[in-house]
Amino acid sequence: MIEQRWKRWVFFYIPLTLFIIGTLFPFYWMFVTAIRPDHELYRSWRAANNAPFWTLQPTLAHFQDLLARTTFPRWLWNTFFIAVASTGISLFCGLLAGYALARLRFPMAGALGTSIFVTYLVPPTLLFIPLADIIREFHLGNTPWALILTYPTFLIPFCTWLLMGYFKTIPKELEECARIDGATRLGAMVRIIFPIAIPGILSAGIFAFTLSWNEFIYALIFLSSPERKTVPVGVVSELIRGDIYFWGQLMAGALLGSIPVALVYSFFVEYYVTGLTGSVKG
Amino acid sequence: MEVALPRPRAAREPFLTRSLDNERLLAAILLAPAVLILAVFIAYPFVMGVWLSLSSTSVGNPGEFVGLKNFLKAWDDSIFRTAFGNTFFYTFWATVFKLSLGMWVALLLNRHFRGKRLVRAAMLLPFIIPTVLSTFAWRWMFDPTFSVLNWTLYKAGLIATKLPFLSDSTWAMWCAISINTWRGMPFFAITLLAGLQTINPDLHEAASLDGANAWRRFWHVTWPLLKPVTLVVVVFSVIQTFSDFQLIYVLTGGGPANSTHLVATYAYQIGVGAGLLGEGAAISLFMLPVLFFVVWMQLRYLRRLEGA
Amino acid sequence: MDTPEPRKSPRPGVNRRTVLKMTGAAGLAAAAGGLEGILAAGRAPAYAQGTELHWVRWNDFIPECDTLLKTQQVPEASKALGAKITLETIGFNDLQPRITAAIQSRAGADIFMLYYNWPQLYASALVDVSDLAEAVAKEQGGFYDVFKPSFQVGGKWLGMPHSIVGNTIAYRRSWFKEVGYEKFPDTWDEVRKAGAALKKKGKPWGQTLGHTFGDAPTWAYPVLWSFGGAETDRSGKKVAINSKGTMESVKWMQAFWKEACDEGGLAWDDSNNNRAFHAGEISASLNGASIYIVAKRQKDRIKDERGEPMVQDIDHAFFPFKGGAGQFPLYFSNGHGIMKYSKNPKLAKDLLRWLHKPENFEKWFQTAEGYSVAPTKSWEKHAMWDKIDPPLRMFRTAARNTRIFGYAGPSTAKSTEVYSKYVIVDMYAKAAQGMKAEDAVKWAEGELKKIYEG
Repeated sequence: MIEQRWKRWVFFYIPLTLFIIGTLFPFYWMFVTAIRPDHELYRSWRAANNAPFWTLQPTLAHFQDLLARTTFPRWLWNTFFIAVASTGISLFCGLLAGYALARLRFPMAGALGTSIFVTYLVPPTLLFIPLADIIREFHLGNTPWALILTYPTFLIPFCTWLLMGYFKTIPKELEECARIDGATRLGAMVRIIFPIAIPGILSAGIFAFTLSWNEFIYALIFLSSPERKTVPVGVVSELIRGDIYFWGQLMAGALLGSIPVALVYSFFVEYYVTGLTGSVKG
Repeated sequence: MEVALPRPRAAREPFLTRSLDNERLLAAILLAPAVLILAVFIAYPFVMGVWLSLSSTSVGNPGEFVGLKNFLKAWDDSIFRTAFGNTFFYTFWATVFKLSLGMWVALLLNRHFRGKRLVRAAMLLPFIIPTVLSTFAWRWMFDPTFSVLNWTLYKAGLIATKLPFLSDSTWAMWCAISINTWRGMPFFAITLLAGLQTINPDLHEAASLDGANAWRRFWHVTWPLLKPVTLVVVVFSVIQTFSDFQLIYVLTGGGPANSTHLVATYAYQIGVGAGLLGEGAAISLFMLPVLFFVVWMQLRYLRRLEGA
Repeated sequence: MDTPEPRKSPRPGVNRRTVLKMTGAAGLAAAAGGLEGILAAGRAPAYAQGTELHWVRWNDFIPECDTLLKTQQVPEASKALGAKITLETIGFNDLQPRITAAIQSRAGADIFMLYYNWPQLYASALVDVSDLAEAVAKEQGGFYDVFKPSFQVGGKWLGMPHSIVGNTIAYRRSWFKEVGYEKFPDTWDEVRKAGAALKKKGKPWGQTLGHTFGDAPTWAYPVLWSFGGAETDRSGKKVAINSKGTMESVKWMQAFWKEACDEGGLAWDDSNNNRAFHAGEISASLNGASIYIVAKRQKDRIKDERGEPMVQDIDHAFFPFKGGAGQFPLYFSNGHGIMKYSKNPKLAKDLLRWLHKPENFEKWFQTAEGYSVAPTKSWEKHAMWDKIDPPLRMFRTAARNTRIFGYAGPSTAKSTEVYSKYVIVDMYAKAAQGMKAEDAVKWAEGELKKIYEG
């Protein structure tokens, strides 16, 4: 397919560039805000010497302050730990349940699948109130386990559903061959099917990880010590004081808070692409 | 110990294996962890939620059964109706934009160019950053006094006075929709890209040999194959958008004059702000049938596609 | 709009105060007061070591107040009471979900900060602290009137009043002079005229009518009251919003908004006016003392158009204005509540008692520099008022007239519902957006009827 040059520009380079600018500009803006000294941050938008797109006196003060004044590294670690653990649990449950729903015949399979999915629809706004009851019953308040065990409530349905779709795309013959060779059903599942499903598992895992990384309200309710908080809750509750916002530090926190996930994504993005394909093909 | 074992080892393994080969038993074992967690952590809250919506419970007061009174009260409430309407408007347009722009980006990213991997990863950034924090960044960009967007347009000579990003009802709603689009579009793009990559390039080649132009190639070759993927993404996105809370809560709190209130933010305001847990639960449960209907329709359609 | 370093290094202001506290006899007295406090309560040695108390407050708008509590007073109190006291501070908007979840699951912090009239809202979950409240009131000149309707439920004090955050019009003295006002115009009509003249010069008034926690309600309710409007009659069961007074107030707001205000303010949050003011974008705004205090503490960063520290040009004027049915502000009154599920209600009460000992409360009171004032009247006589900057002195007696929403009826959970639905704020916001005053009032009347009469 040979394209004329101008066509390639008009239909490809220009729109792609615009999309990249649109997507990334807020990040650039966060970055500029984070390194801009305070006295520049609060200048009139009409000020003659206003140069919003860059700063002549970049400073790391906001980053330093964020690290010195708050327990940001702790929050980062907490968030990471909670996200990994809850993702792990959800993947484990979702993997087994997804396989059962996709492959095994048993009564009520359809109904069970639907009801697992329906839990994803339960409006979460006020769920934290009765959930607080359970957290108290299990004495989980102010421990990471409060979140590690509650996040799966919205992650499992998602993982199950995604993986169920993925398993359906794997030809049944593969499994049957293995079983003829003497493998048990369980063995075939673990040794044959799961390895093939790795891209699907990764994509479900990455998505689940993002959702836990993002969560706000449960983390706000169930954790109380400053050093146990997660990034979104910590940043919001320490850097906003009534009618005073620490914009520089807030943006620094937002940036630092998304970098770890960004790294994970950049490693896995290709897997993610192939993984999702499988799951939705069926 | 050996005495206690009724059978030698050799005979035991086939028994275990055999019983695990029983589909029903295996299914039960495999489903147990998921069902257990969901039953413990969501079944009770959900039942409690339904009970709350049928009772006059307020914070600290158990309340009593009042039937559908809370639902009727909500339906009679002009702010609720505004919020309900807003939620549909918000979900509809955000989904339309996410889908169309996401599709466009997916088509662009499906081509070969230098730095493809980097661009793909970069495109996902808005999806990664915690919503609460990115919404703060947007609020900072829409800031009435320090808006960089206003500055740019002003310097470019396109505007003479500041644009009322969040202070005008209509503007505020569209701002919320654009932020949601910005945030959700990458998910659409990458997922659709995944779908595109499974389409055999030969099909396109054949179509272009037939003299079909790009648009027709897309419509007749790509789109039909992408439909199942698209539907799944749309289902997830509609669920998330319809029950969106964080974005509005941080951006406007539902203002100005309720013009950006969504069902979820209003339910929170009534349940937590005013302490009327019963009414708040009823308001938030209004979302369930709608979501259920949307999902059911889409699933049905998906099954039909699969069957065909 | 603040410097990043509240906890890092003491600022000049902090220094001065710290020195004052540490050197003066007050410091010694405070240390003794702690002990005396427990002895008075007659239970000092009774506490087993390791008794724990969890106390949740908001992030104070004046960060130094939190620093004082966390680094000095909580350790002191822990020692004095023989208990491990943890103070957690969270965002002002995040307190309510925490309290709600705690009450519903009967587990959580022992002491929560309570805003406005929350004791009405959470009445069934709060411990009666009448003995404590009455003792403090008697000792310190009596509570301001606002607390009785808001913190008392059925004749019992369910919350211990702690402080009142006043608000005021912060304005640029020189700008008002430019348009011919040597003194701040203090009637509704004059303010409107002055605002219009300033807006013509590109220096509008900045005000919010958004869904904010502080500035929008504290702007809207006083306008209503001061024009003679009220949500209900005295019984609290009959809606009385559709009155001549309300109509006038809405019309005033409509005109004021168009003629004098920065129209972007409809979406401002509580922080926007602070920043806009410091950037020299607006001529005046209703706010707590934070505009002044921050400008003062960051003299070298916040400058006016001549390059002088802006703080020299900031003055305060009383809001609401004169010329209506009276001047009734809505201030942010707050206190603490002890939760019924708490395992240590006695200890919690002792902590509050300790906190309100004059020697201890004094430190906090001085750190707030008038941003927050005490709940009781005798603090009006405190020597601090003669030492602080003149613009801050107006807060000395400002709390006397403050009302709580629900007026003219009692301040019930229903009036909190009206407040959290922003009905009154939105009535004005709708009018400011162009709805006819009559329709805006009618809309509010309909909403109020559903709440109060439904």
